Amino acid sequence: MGKNSDGLVFEVSEPSDNATIVYNARQMLLQMGFDETRQYLIASAVSELSTNIIRYGEKGTITLRCIRKSDKIGFEVIARDCGPGISDIQKAATENYSSGHGLGLGLSSVKRIMDECEIKSARGHGTCIIAKKWLM
Amino acid sequence: MNATQDNRINNELALNILNQISTPIMAVNKEMKLIFMNEAGFELLGTSWEKIENKPCHEVFNSSHCQTPKCRMRQVMEGEDSCTVRNEITRHERTIPIEYTATALKNKEGSIVGGIEYLIDITERTQQEKKLQEQSRTIMEISTPAIKLWDRVLILPVVGVVDSLRAQQMMNTMLKKIMDTSAKVIILDIQGVAAVDTAVANHLIKIAKATKLMGCRCIISGISPAVAETLVQLGIGLGEISTNATLQDALSDAFDIMNLMVTPRK
Repeated sequence: MGKNSDGLVFEVSEPSDNATIVYNARQMLLQMGFDETRQYLIASAVSELSTNIIRYGEKGTITLRCIRKSDKIGFEVIARDCGPGISDIQKAATENYSSGHGLGLGLSSVKRIMDECEIKSARGHGTCIIAKKWLM
Repeated sequence: MNATQDNRINNELALNILNQISTPIMAVNKEMKLIFMNEAGFELLGTSWEKIENKPCHEVFNSSHCQTPKCRMRQVMEGEDSCTVRNEITRHERTIPIEYTATALKNKEGSIVGGIEYLIDITERTQQEKKLQEQSRTIMEISTPAIKLWDRVLILPVVGVVDSLRAQQMMNTMLKKIMDTSAKVIILDIQGVAAVDTAVANHLIKIAKATKLMGCRCIISGISPAVAETLVQLGIGLGEISTNATLQDALSDAFDIMNLMVTPRK
């Protein structure tokens, strides 16, 4: 785990890395003032993203940070991987689509839980997913 | 004291310092041939300068990065930033885990003429890491206990983060225990689970299905408001799997299934 001005950065390569990320995410969300249900929801979305890296991308990083926009504060998670990339983002973000053996609900559920979700990917260049949740 | 003399003393002093540093340090020219190594380096490799002078460094170190694109020495010579990485060297058939830092060696004009490398023997650290890994595996194993709650009623409390490895372990523990105790009901309590993503939900569904195949009913308890909302947001239907908010309710259901009744003593 690394800490810099951009927040907490975690290396993700094996299943056990997910635990550290989830605990840190929940800690951070609690400190930011998200209620228990939101903490659980967002931590689950974070877990979804880091599990995705392990399952599809093999290696990558998860960055957690607190962000500000005018008078709003929010939680941001950035998931980067060095995997094969997503060939059809539109398709991947749809419900019930899965290229692996999951339930096919992963990315679409992240989109549903978070307020903003941006996916950048190019075949052969890995994937970067940035998701934000504002504190109401 | 004139300038050349001053220079000589400095060189002597610098060499002395380099030789007394307990970290192996070496330098190569652009052809990857050894042009310097300090005493600590000789000690690590069990050799002397006469034997290795001007030899290609891969012959001396025989590491897993040698002569592969992973060689950081070559990378820094090609202009990349200095970096520290782990590696292994083989010496007299013994493998030593090391960590090395490679930096480009530049002349006065600033052009790259070779590379400098210093390395640390990390045998002890890797041993500690291995120990830690083993310990976490042990913790994981003891963290999935299937407990007999009543005759033919089992409970498996799940705490912390569920990953695929742990889910597999839970599945094995449960199925084996069902076999051993001929359980009819198993309660999977997920109140202590830190997050439920689709992978975790998928594992839970699979576990419930597998227990059903063994003729055992699976009740998932500990569905707190947060868990319930998360499952809805994830879009996961638990289908026919029975769920309960609390362990108490789950136990009460289990008694119903077993045709048992808890009554106050008369």
